[in-house]
Amino acid sequence: MRIRARGIVPGRASGRALVSAAPFSFVGGVDPATGSILGGATGGTGERLDGRIFAFPTGKGSTVGSYVLYGLGKRSHGPAAIVNRRADAVVAVGATLAGIPMVDRVDVEGLRSGDRVVVDGDRGTVELPGIRGRRVVTAILRNRGRILIVRRSEKVGSFRGKWSAISGHIEGREDPKHRAIVEVREETGLRAITFRASGNPVLARDGTTIYVVHPFLFDTPDRRVRLDWENIEMRWVRPEELDRFETVPRLVAVVAAVLSPSA
Amino acid sequence: MRLTRAQRHLLNEGTESQRNAMQILLAVGRLADAPRLVPITSAHVSGVSYKLIGDPGLEFLEDFARDARVSVPTTVNPLGTDLAQWQALGVPSTFAEKQGRIASAYEAMGVRRSFSCTPYLIGVRPAFGEHVAWAESSAVVFANSVLGARTNREGGPAALAAAVVGATPEYGLHTDVGREPTGIVKVGVKPKGIDYSLIGLVAGERVGDGLPFFRGFRGTEGDLKWLGAALASSGACSMFHLESVTPEARRVSVRGLKSITITDEDLAAAKREHSDGTEAEIIGLGSPQLSSDELREVAGLIDRTPPRIPVWAFTSRVVRDANPDAVGIIERHGGRVLADTCLEVTLLEHRFGTVATPSGKGAYYLPSLSRQKVVFDELKTLLERYA
Repeated sequence: MRIRARGIVPGRASGRALVSAAPFSFVGGVDPATGSILGGATGGTGERLDGRIFAFPTGKGSTVGSYVLYGLGKRSHGPAAIVNRRADAVVAVGATLAGIPMVDRVDVEGLRSGDRVVVDGDRGTVELPGIRGRRVVTAILRNRGRILIVRRSEKVGSFRGKWSAISGHIEGREDPKHRAIVEVREETGLRAITFRASGNPVLARDGTTIYVVHPFLFDTPDRRVRLDWENIEMRWVRPEELDRFETVPRLVAVVAAVLSPSA
Repeated sequence: MRLTRAQRHLLNEGTESQRNAMQILLAVGRLADAPRLVPITSAHVSGVSYKLIGDPGLEFLEDFARDARVSVPTTVNPLGTDLAQWQALGVPSTFAEKQGRIASAYEAMGVRRSFSCTPYLIGVRPAFGEHVAWAESSAVVFANSVLGARTNREGGPAALAAAVVGATPEYGLHTDVGREPTGIVKVGVKPKGIDYSLIGLVAGERVGDGLPFFRGFRGTEGDLKWLGAALASSGACSMFHLESVTPEARRVSVRGLKSITITDEDLAAAKREHSDGTEAEIIGLGSPQLSSDELREVAGLIDRTPPRIPVWAFTSRVVRDANPDAVGIIERHGGRVLADTCLEVTLLEHRFGTVATPSGKGAYYLPSLSRQKVVFDELKTLLERYA
C-alpha cells in the first residue's frame, strides 16, 4: 500500500522499519559513534539505525540533535530515511545536513518494526510493499458531550464483537465525508446530523492489513438510533470512558483526531 | 515554495555548503508552509558555546566552513569561555582548544567575531520593518518588540543557512498577521530593577508561545532587554507589545483578546521560586551581556559597596574594550569582566555551586544548564548581603 505524506527532505530510500512509539531525541537517544539506540524509549535498545527506516512521532530535546544526526550520516550510521507524524526543526535540519530523506504527517503507530518500507521525500509518499491498505471512514456522532459507540455483529467482515464508532469502507474514488454520512444513515437512521470536523487519517494495524481511517465528527440533536444488521448494541458514552470497552484498534486516536486535533 | 532565479541557482549549482544551506531553508519553510524566502539584512547565529554543542557541533561547523561564506552581515552568540582569560578561569585546555576551533570556523565563514547575545548593543540595529534572521531568543524578542525588525526565533543551523543564502522562509513574525497579540497582560505594579525580569518570567509562564500585549507600565530600552530575555526563557515568546512604548503597539488590534493581570504578589512569588540558594560563592552579571551603561553602573555600585565574594560581569568584547575604567574598578575589587561568553553558557559549574544574579534569564537557566543554585535579587541588595 502507499500512504500519502508530506515531503520534508528530498530523496528516496528503502529498508526495514524501526518504530518508536515515543518522541525521540538524537541527543542521548543514540550513540553518535555507532548509531546504536540507547535507553529503553524505543523498545529497540541495541538496535542500530543504519539502513533502517526510522519512524517516530516527533523529535524532542536539545537542538544539538541536528549535529548528531549530521555526524551519524557522515559515518554511514544514520537511518536510511525518517518518518514522523509531525516533523520538528531540529530533526528536519539534521536530516537535511545528513542527506537523509524525510517525510511527515504519517501516523507511525500503523507501522511495525521489520516492515519493508520505501520512503520518497520528493513525492511525499511512504510505500509498504507487503501490506494491504483498506481505506475506511469512521463517523463520531456527538450529542450533549457524549459520543455513540456500537458493538459490531457476527455478520460483519472484521472485528466482530468489538466496540466501534459508525464506520464503513470507502469505495473507489468516492468522497470520504460523503461515505461517512451514508454510513450514519444506514447504520443509525439519523438524518439531521451536522458536520463539525474531519481529522488526519489514523492508521489501524491488523496483521498485514492497515486500515487508513478517515475520522469525521457530526453533531446530532437526537439520540434515537435504529441499528441495522451490522451492529447489535449501542451506548452513548463520554470520550474518556472509551478505555473501559474492548474496541476496534485505535478508536481512542480516531476520537482524539476530531475532538482535539492538536493531540 | 516559490524561489527566485538566484535562489534556484544556489540550490542547483552553488557550492556544497550553499546547496546545503538552501536545503535547510527549504526544509524549515516546508514545516511552516512558507510561500517564499524573504531577503534579510543581517543574521545572528547561535550554536557556538562548546559547552552546549560539543563535538557533534564542532565537527559540523568545521566541515561546513570549508566552502560556506555568509552573504549578509552576521554576528554570533557567546562562546563557552573568554578566549583571552580562559586559563585564569581554570577552564580545561581541551575545552578552550575546541572552543577556539569553533570560533575559527565561524570566522572562516565571514562571521564577525562578536561572541555576543546582544548584537543590538554593538552596532547591529536593524531598522523598523527590516527582515533579519536571528537566533538567540533574547535578541529575537528585542529585535521584534523594541526595534520593530522582523525575525522568527531561528535555530542555529537555520540562521547560518539564512546568512549564507541572504534570505529566510517568510512566515510567522515576518508577516503582519504573525505579529498580532494573542492576549493582554495588565501589570499592576510600577516596575523598577529586577521587576522587569520578574514580569517577563511570570508572563512567559502564563502565555507560553503566545504574543503578549502589555499595558500599565513604561520602561527604557534597557529595562525591556531584561523583560524580553526573561519572557523568552520561561515562555516560547519571540515578541511582545507594550502600550504607548513599543513601535507596533499602536498598529495592532487588541479587540476581543482575553486579559490577565500580574500583581505585586505574582512578582514576589516568582522571585521566591527562582531563588533556591542561600550562600552564594559568586555574583554573576549578564544573561544577556551588559551594555556600556550597565557595566559602568555596576562598577559604581561595587566601588561603593565592595562584596567579599567575586563579581563576574559578562559583556561583549566591544563593550569591555570601550570601558577600561569600569573594568579597572571591578578588577580592583576582586571581580572580573569577561568577554566572548555569558553567564549560563560559560563553564561555571566546575568552580561554583551557588550563583547570585539579578538576571531573570540567568536565574531561569542556571539550575538546568549549569546545575547550580541561585540567589536572585537586585545587585544593590546582593552587594550589601555579601559585603
